[in-house]
Amino acid sequence: MSLDTPPAAALPAAAPPRKGSRQGGARMDAVTKLVITAVVLILAILIGYPLVRILTQAFGAEGLETLRNIATSPANRAVLLNTVVLGVLVGAVGTAIGFAFAYAQARLDFRGKKLLHLIALLPIVSPPFAVATAVITLFGRSGLVTNKMLGLDYNIYGLTGLTLVLSLSFFPVAYMNLLGMLRSLDPATDEAASSLGADRWKIFRSVTVPMLVPGFASCFLLLFVEAIADLANPLVIGGDFTVLSSRAYIAITGEYDVASGAAYSLVLLLPGLLVFLVQRYWAERRSVVSVTGKPSGNVTLLRSPLARIPLLTVVLAIATLIVAIYVTVFVGAFTAILGVNNTFTLANYRYVLSGIGSDAMFTTTILALIATPVAGVLGMILAWLVVRKVRRGRGALDFLGMLGLAVPGTVLGIGYALAFNKPFIIGNIQLLPALAGGGAIFGGALAIVMVYVIRSMPSGQRSGIAALQQIDPAIDEASTSLGASGLRTFRSITLPLIRPALLSGLTYAFARAMTTLSPIIFITTPQTKIMTSQILSEVDSGRFGNAFAYCTILIAIVLGVIGLMNLLIRDRRAPTRVN
Amino acid sequence: MATILSTPSETAPGTNPSGSLHLDNLVKQYPGGISAEPAVAGIDLDIRPGEFLTLLGPSGCGKTTTLRMIAGFETPSHGSLTLDGEDMVALTPDKRPMAMVFQSYALFPHMSVFDNVAYGLRLQKLPKKRVQEEVAFALASMSLTKLADRAPNQLSGGQQQRVALARAMVMKPKVLLFDEPLSNLDAKLRVQMRTEIRALQHKLGITSVYVTHDQDEAMSLSDRIVVMRQGRIEQVATPETVYRKPASVFVADFIGRANFLDTSIEQLTRDTDGARATVRALGATYTVPAHEGIGADSQVCLMVRPESVALSPLPDAREVSGNNGRVLKSVFYGAWVEYEIETVGGNVTAVIYDPVPGDILESGTFVRVSFEQDRAWLLPAED
Amino acid sequence: MKRTAALTAALLGTITLGLSGCVVDDTQQTSTDGELGGTLTVACGAMEDWCQAMTTAFTEKTGVRTDFVRLSSGETVARLEAAKDSPEFDVWHGGPADGYGTAADAGLLERYESPNAAQIPEKYRDEDDYWTGVYVGALGFCSNQAKLDGLGVDVPTAWSDLLVPELKGQVSTAHPSTSGTAFTTLWTQVTLAGGDEDAAFDYMRKLHNNVLQYSKSGTAPGQAAGRGEVAVGLVFTHDCVKYKEAGMNDLEVSLPEEGTGYEVGGVGIVKGTDNLAAAQAYVDWSLTPEAQDIGPTVGSYQVLTNPDSVQDDRMIDLDTTNLVDYDFEAAAAAKKELTTRFDEEIAAQPRE
Repeated sequence: MSLDTPPAAALPAAAPPRKGSRQGGARMDAVTKLVITAVVLILAILIGYPLVRILTQAFGAEGLETLRNIATSPANRAVLLNTVVLGVLVGAVGTAIGFAFAYAQARLDFRGKKLLHLIALLPIVSPPFAVATAVITLFGRSGLVTNKMLGLDYNIYGLTGLTLVLSLSFFPVAYMNLLGMLRSLDPATDEAASSLGADRWKIFRSVTVPMLVPGFASCFLLLFVEAIADLANPLVIGGDFTVLSSRAYIAITGEYDVASGAAYSLVLLLPGLLVFLVQRYWAERRSVVSVTGKPSGNVTLLRSPLARIPLLTVVLAIATLIVAIYVTVFVGAFTAILGVNNTFTLANYRYVLSGIGSDAMFTTTILALIATPVAGVLGMILAWLVVRKVRRGRGALDFLGMLGLAVPGTVLGIGYALAFNKPFIIGNIQLLPALAGGGAIFGGALAIVMVYVIRSMPSGQRSGIAALQQIDPAIDEASTSLGASGLRTFRSITLPLIRPALLSGLTYAFARAMTTLSPIIFITTPQTKIMTSQILSEVDSGRFGNAFAYCTILIAIVLGVIGLMNLLIRDRRAPTRVN
Repeated sequence: MATILSTPSETAPGTNPSGSLHLDNLVKQYPGGISAEPAVAGIDLDIRPGEFLTLLGPSGCGKTTTLRMIAGFETPSHGSLTLDGEDMVALTPDKRPMAMVFQSYALFPHMSVFDNVAYGLRLQKLPKKRVQEEVAFALASMSLTKLADRAPNQLSGGQQQRVALARAMVMKPKVLLFDEPLSNLDAKLRVQMRTEIRALQHKLGITSVYVTHDQDEAMSLSDRIVVMRQGRIEQVATPETVYRKPASVFVADFIGRANFLDTSIEQLTRDTDGARATVRALGATYTVPAHEGIGADSQVCLMVRPESVALSPLPDAREVSGNNGRVLKSVFYGAWVEYEIETVGGNVTAVIYDPVPGDILESGTFVRVSFEQDRAWLLPAED
Repeated sequence: MKRTAALTAALLGTITLGLSGCVVDDTQQTSTDGELGGTLTVACGAMEDWCQAMTTAFTEKTGVRTDFVRLSSGETVARLEAAKDSPEFDVWHGGPADGYGTAADAGLLERYESPNAAQIPEKYRDEDDYWTGVYVGALGFCSNQAKLDGLGVDVPTAWSDLLVPELKGQVSTAHPSTSGTAFTTLWTQVTLAGGDEDAAFDYMRKLHNNVLQYSKSGTAPGQAAGRGEVAVGLVFTHDCVKYKEAGMNDLEVSLPEEGTGYEVGGVGIVKGTDNLAAAQAYVDWSLTPEAQDIGPTVGSYQVLTNPDSVQDDRMIDLDTTNLVDYDFEAAAAAKKELTTRFDEEIAAQPRE
């Protein structure tokens, strides 16, 4: 896997935004208006309608009761508090890990830098259960490390385990974004500070960190939202610790109470919305990073052992942890039950590669491959609209795009089942055929693709927004002024310029699609066997060897496809003459 | 640049009669802006075909907003904009027969120099051969031929600016728009580039609107200068008129340097050459040209450019009185000497060009202060 | 291959979607032949292999192409509810009967009294014929022998054995509000106490001191015991056997002598199925020994409800097992109140 080019790193020279320049003041051309309408319509179908269908249930009798309960019952209040605590912890820890890796990568000189980069990106592919199960195997009460090596009786289940697993799973996004920003910082600012008598530590505190504040805020937001919406990990390693997403899942699957599930999910959207608003109105206003042309000097690498040694120790420790986890998954695939019954076996692969297993691999990969370009391009278009085209309502548009990630998968899945099991009919005109479920067109595959798209688009959207905010709007205007329509400008100017962001958007999209589980449960059909739900069923049966075998294959597929994407969408650094 | 851009195509350069731009009461009010004041508060302009017009003013005066409204990047809140009688407001920027040169050059970083220049022509679906010719010619005219395959970030600032110019001019637009295109260049290159721009524009005869806050640029490039202030036009005139006969104290002060002397009108006459007023200033009586808007009892103020001030040493004088003044400060600049003179009417700045060696006045020297009356200008006083 | 065709078609999906503004043809034809035909889709609440084996066997026997989607009970109810106007499933097979009860109450199931139902003992059947039992699973103790040896404790054979201080932090059970298994444990205590909820809660409170954590999933305690994280997990015995077969060799199954609760796995017809004849045939078939005997061949060791079905060593013997008189209706009615009470009085309390 090589995501060599972090979103902002390879961005072209751009001048600081013109003073007093206000974007979006121009009359929009017809094509742009059409694009906006189309995007809004697509989002309405992909996320708006299903959400409305399910969330209205939250205002039914049962749902209102639950909503009241959340305010009054101490148990429910604790769940809400747990959720926020978890989100904040993962947001902070994940961002910190991401920053440590990014800073080491950008400002330290050591051997194996490239390797460290790849290790940091590995968790982008974390199939459900794999990381959590591996962590339990390694650090659980009878874990290989905690118990067998250190003789501890350590209970990993709960907040600690969850924070660890979620931070490790989600930090690569923070790493990529922050690395891009660090690389795009003009070394001249460091030099200026240094010439004014600031030492390295002082520069770090008073120049580097403040410049990255918007980046921190945006990473925190993404991690917060991902953490509180995650379901598989709280179920596996959450132990007693209940969060809203698992509470909603339980309400639906354990208590047969969809309305309450919807109510919990509605509440779940609130912290997400809040953090989102804070990020928008605080961080974006404070945005100080701008790419001001070619960096005017070389970054002075950090040499002081006082800073190097602790940072490298932390980074290497985490990298070791990541490697250990993935090695565990890999080794686990060749044993019956790793840590319990360590006999070497190939039976797991034999099982997984025959029959249902290979069908699932094929289906899942095809569906994810269909969804990935759609999600990637849609994310970039959305980012472009938000940053460049739409002035009024851009916040709403941005949030609408993020909803696919913010809503727990369970709720999204049921929303899809509710919305798309029947043809969408007004009068006697069929606007949409049935998309989800066994009776739908393409055996329900389309609904799964749609879920993949809406679930995996937001990360691309965020990296697209970050990339676009660093490109001088005059470049767009120059194209327009030379006679290019809005869409043409997007295609031939904007998109090539944000190619690295597009590439990382596609990467995340594919990895996420391949690892999506909870919404899929509600819309799988006999014709569409999905790998993640096969993994779930193997875990349920206690056949961890099979589950790990599935995971390694899934990881291999994702890495392979990402590798191919990197080859196909290569960054043309030196422009060539098109003739 | 040696060659002047001409074109291999059939349209003869410099003969394009179109490009007449008409701005009528153009207003831009930003919704929810911090101040209730509109950014542009009603601009009327008639820009003639082939004319080079400069919008000049301090930052925040609305000049860039006006240019962006012409380009179509801002939609006017009010007013009309027509090009050769055709309404422009309804058109999106890409549909307007105009090309813009940006302050940041805004070159497409992922395209070669050649592709940058060819971009607009390719959008017009011109035959490949034609694109090739036109671009090659434009590059040659800009001495960029050798750089055709380079990436923009491999070019120097001046080269980047040439590419930006070539990219706009190759389109043969009816109107060229310049948004402070030279402000990122160093002083020497700036002077060189403005000569090139002016020569090119002259040759091609394309109507041009140029925004700058640099008065030297405005003076050297323009057929006419529009001086703007707080969203309004203060004066539209040729560089010489703007300099010699500014419409207001603001204009006089913004363009070049000026001494403003308090005075009052003793006599006002009007003839075909305009108004003339007899005033007392610096202990003497002068009859000076006056602004049209002045009446016999207007509050006025007399503008005298520093280079119009004449000084003659008075070895015997002992005090500042009448037209006697005293040198407070004397600075030698090589090509000129600049003096600050204490007079009864306040301090006056005088600039003497090409000073005779040995004749430079020391501070403390008493001098007679006078000026050539035809070069002074009587203005309505500012409130 | 249908799947491949469907996927290839999905590639063009987006395009077609844009053109789909066609007029609805609501005069759909339904075949009402006596011959079995068409296809069946089963919502299957048991293990993947079990589902696969069952549907394949039915297809081979009848020629009705039968597919399945593996879903938990709650997921099935949610999906049936979401699609009740155009059901995507025809039959629900496997999974605990309380889910069937909920679905029946919501009007999602079709009543059907199979001619074969008479062979099934009455207590494993719904009196309104919405569902019929196909297997029975008894709640039991899933112990890790090695861990117990280390602690010096014998394999528990009574509920009271779980309360010994040596087992502090060594018992794993799920949370009753998240897991049907754990709720079975709770209701078993109520039944054992003769309906005295307070007495049942007394037991749960004492047990609470020994419980490490209440997991979300009902089967997780068996896995925790298998991994040696705890000494005893409270799960259905067939799950424990399943983990043992999968390689967790230290596991040992035992049953409480005071009596234990159980679950019944059901089969039922989804309301509104467009292939009723085949669905009924499927239910009839699922109650025969021929169908039920498939279970143990694919690693599912629940006790089978048809008395003529095979008995396997790895199944518990119902004749020697003390099953409590489990009142499913009363349990379902009390569930919400009991789980809320458990949440507040027990789960949230600190351990001594």
